[in-house]
Amino acid sequence: MNLGETIRSAVWSLQSSKLRSFLSMLGIIIGVAAVVGIVSIGLGAQTSVLDMVSALGSNLIMISPAPTLGRGGSVSADPRDVFTVQLAQHMQERSPGIKLVVPLVQGSGLLIYGGSNLRSTVVGTTPAYTEVTNYKVRAGRFLHDLDLEHQTQVMVLGSRVAERLFGQANPVGEQITYVVGDRRYSFTVVGVMESKGQVLMGNYDNQVYIPLTLAMERILRTKTVSTLMAQAASAEAASEAVQQAEFLLYSRLGTADGFNVTSQDEMLETMGDVAFTLQLMLGAIGGISLVVGGIGVMNIMLVSVSERTREIGTRKALGAKQRDLLLQFIVEALVLSTSGGAIGLLVGTAVAEGVSRFGGWPTKIQVSALALAFGFSALVGLVAGVYPAMRAARLDPVVALSYE
Amino acid sequence: MTKMLEAKGLTKVYHMGAEQVHALRGVSFTVESREYIAIMGPSGSGKSTLLHIVGCLDRPTSGELAIEDRDVRKATDNELAEIRNRKIGFVFQTFNLLPKATALENVELPLIYAGVRRRERRERAAAVLERVGLADRMGHRPSELSGGQRQRVAIARAIVTEPAFILADEPTGSLDTATGAQILDLFAELNSEGNTILLITHDEAVAARAQRVIRLLDGRIVSDTGGSEVRA
Repeated sequence: MNLGETIRSAVWSLQSSKLRSFLSMLGIIIGVAAVVGIVSIGLGAQTSVLDMVSALGSNLIMISPAPTLGRGGSVSADPRDVFTVQLAQHMQERSPGIKLVVPLVQGSGLLIYGGSNLRSTVVGTTPAYTEVTNYKVRAGRFLHDLDLEHQTQVMVLGSRVAERLFGQANPVGEQITYVVGDRRYSFTVVGVMESKGQVLMGNYDNQVYIPLTLAMERILRTKTVSTLMAQAASAEAASEAVQQAEFLLYSRLGTADGFNVTSQDEMLETMGDVAFTLQLMLGAIGGISLVVGGIGVMNIMLVSVSERTREIGTRKALGAKQRDLLLQFIVEALVLSTSGGAIGLLVGTAVAEGVSRFGGWPTKIQVSALALAFGFSALVGLVAGVYPAMRAARLDPVVALSYE
Repeated sequence: MTKMLEAKGLTKVYHMGAEQVHALRGVSFTVESREYIAIMGPSGSGKSTLLHIVGCLDRPTSGELAIEDRDVRKATDNELAEIRNRKIGFVFQTFNLLPKATALENVELPLIYAGVRRRERRERAAAVLERVGLADRMGHRPSELSGGQRQRVAIARAIVTEPAFILADEPTGSLDTATGAQILDLFAELNSEGNTILLITHDEAVAARAQRVIRLLDGRIVSDTGGSEVRA
């Protein structure tokens, strides 16, 4: 009896008890659909998180002060004190691995234009900000060196801020009132940025940008900056640049605890690791349901073997060899589990599609994940089929024929 | 005439716990081509055991058995399966048809195991179904057939491989007398067409249709009558 013949007869045998075949497939269907769905959603989430990190900028290094603990009654040196514009300049000049250093200060306040107002994050920064963050101007211009020099009251808007305050109208040249506490400042809008979307920490589109000097001296009235964004000279120089920044800060602070220096690569790596672990865990849960489905298949095959004892005896009397019956029942289990697997692939893909279309979640369907889930379902069928098939093949024909 | 089957001193001992049951105590007989033999005996006489051994479903404890001059004592399980497939045509009391398969598919089954190609299988199965008078029932399932028709399907399945002999176990046991008689007519016809038949029964009326009757009691042959004169 050849394989084609065996498969045909297995399909035929399963078709003759449709409901039961479907029910025993159900476990595999759910298992494969779960694996495919979960992995697609997980991959989508991973991709979108990694995109958010990438969207931060190129070869970016984030340098910020760490919170410190004082000891007893004495006040320890505050590491924030060394985060100044001078440090930024110093770092840019002395570190060959670092191309640009952009200091940032952040404050929040109310923006008023005409009859509408909007609470927004105000970022004081330098012209190099756009280069470090890969940020493009849509209309007008970004901050200029002269703006910093003269502390001109100009403002560049994130795309969503522009949209919400001005709608379709062009904001360039308009006056905006910025209220912080009981002080009011009048700004001229000089530019609107392109949309960048969600990035890792916050959303650039919801921010407005003003000259660093103005922000520090007249609005926030501070001598220190909150973060330095540095750009490594190249992707290869990134780890070198991290070391140089760390060395400089260490020499200023005398301790390695007062600051955090994180490169974009490290963020990508960390995020990737977290996502991968999560993925593996969710995939394993799907895998467990596949194993449970396999137990269902094995159960139904055992029932089928004992129900068909007389049939097995008859087949043996008519000349079926052990091999024929072994193959017959293994192929039945395989047909059962792989058809379940195929249906599961469709269901899982549909669920992933549905989640991304109606739930707005990013999903990513990966062929290798589909192949893995399907292959696993076939393996489960094989394992589940072997034992029942062996029982069928080894039945004594005399006993099987007289079985009631 | 050629020997289809030769049994010499067959014994079979079953171990039931500590007890030994001697089902066969030395059975010898020969079946020539084109013979029609009934093996008779009350229950417990050993006729089922003899059927299983002659049908190569079981092995004797001792003794010799040859089917068409082939010694089956040393055959492996696979070789026994092949002998059953090619040399023996089983007909069972309860028909033993696959319930979800059509008459044609049921008759094809032994040919599948013989490795016959699909088209040839179809043709041969259809031909024997026609022979047993079921040309118009080929697509029917067993549940759509009467008892007599089912047994005809089973007989068609037995002869489709052109075996050395048909081995029938109480073939009329599940049928009413009239239907049973028709089945026995069919056996007689098949015998006259050249088929060798070995029929096991406890029914005198059934045995009376055979040319030769072998009677068993307590695992031994007690009489063997009606066969050709050459036998001692």
